[in-house]
Amino acid sequence: MNLKLAIFKPLLKLAMERTGHGAALGFELTRVGRGEVEMTFPYKPEVVGNPVTGVVHGGVIVSLLDTACGSAAITTLTKPAITPTMDLRLDYMHPAEPYQPIYVSAKVYRDTSNVLFCRGSAWQDDPENPIAHCVATFMKVETESVSLGNIIRRRFKRLVYGDKAYEQEADR
Amino acid sequence: MTDQLALFQQELQKAKQQRSPQGILDLIPYSSFIGAQAKPERDEVLYWLDRRASNIGNPSLPAIHGGVIGGFLELSAAVEILYTLDVKLMPKVVDFSLDYLRPGRYKTIYANCTVLRQGKKLVNVTATAWQDNPETPIATARCHFLIS
Repeated sequence: MNLKLAIFKPLLKLAMERTGHGAALGFELTRVGRGEVEMTFPYKPEVVGNPVTGVVHGGVIVSLLDTACGSAAITTLTKPAITPTMDLRLDYMHPAEPYQPIYVSAKVYRDTSNVLFCRGSAWQDDPENPIAHCVATFMKVETESVSLGNIIRRRFKRLVYGDKAYEQEADR
Repeated sequence: MTDQLALFQQELQKAKQQRSPQGILDLIPYSSFIGAQAKPERDEVLYWLDRRASNIGNPSLPAIHGGVIGGFLELSAAVEILYTLDVKLMPKVVDFSLDYLRPGRYKTIYANCTVLRQGKKLVNVTATAWQDNPETPIATARCHFLIS
């Protein structure tokens, strides 16, 4: 493993698990490799979509797969860049079992100069019998806004201002 | 289970009679998790999602999490079916396809849905999300649901 990825891995894990919607959902990135990510999501009653059966909402699966695919996409980058999602397509094979954790894996299967092609899968007890799988494409957009210096500056701002820092950035 | 089903159907009926799509959203815990709201507007339903820090995906822009936009549109599509069609059970999502057109800035997202086709078992719904102007959507979604 190269040094860059060694520094980058805990940063990515921190960014995904501790900020914004990732923190609200409460998943864990269990494996981060180059172009490959695995995650675990414990069951949460707050995100139920069907009040009769207790099954989590499909939107949770969308968020998990989007995060996993997006994270896998970021790990392939060699320059400071962001990877906005172009599209995401999900097939739901069967409903999730309530009260059970959900496992997610994502892989970049094609890395081109402008576009990253990714697929992901979510399952519970058997990876061969997934709840859902998805394909997603991401753009590569080079920007200095994700340089280490800028990330540290924004982290510091958020420490000082809390959630107000987001509003200041948005209204600027 | 049957008690919960009876309760769900009773509440659903009540919300439909009161013309309150919000009443249907209130039955689904995930709606309050992301903060989705809805109201009837002319002959449509307007869905919206006020900004909140727990919906942020990319803190550097800051932008709303793509998964939240997807979840919000899928939720809106399901509520649209429950509100406009004669169904008694939660529709089951079969597939969901989402195109991201612009970044979701850190402000309110609006959406509306259209049922394009209703069969006996299958329903096709499209949903569009925008922020400043309905003419410049930030995302469009298309989904299939099984109904009974």
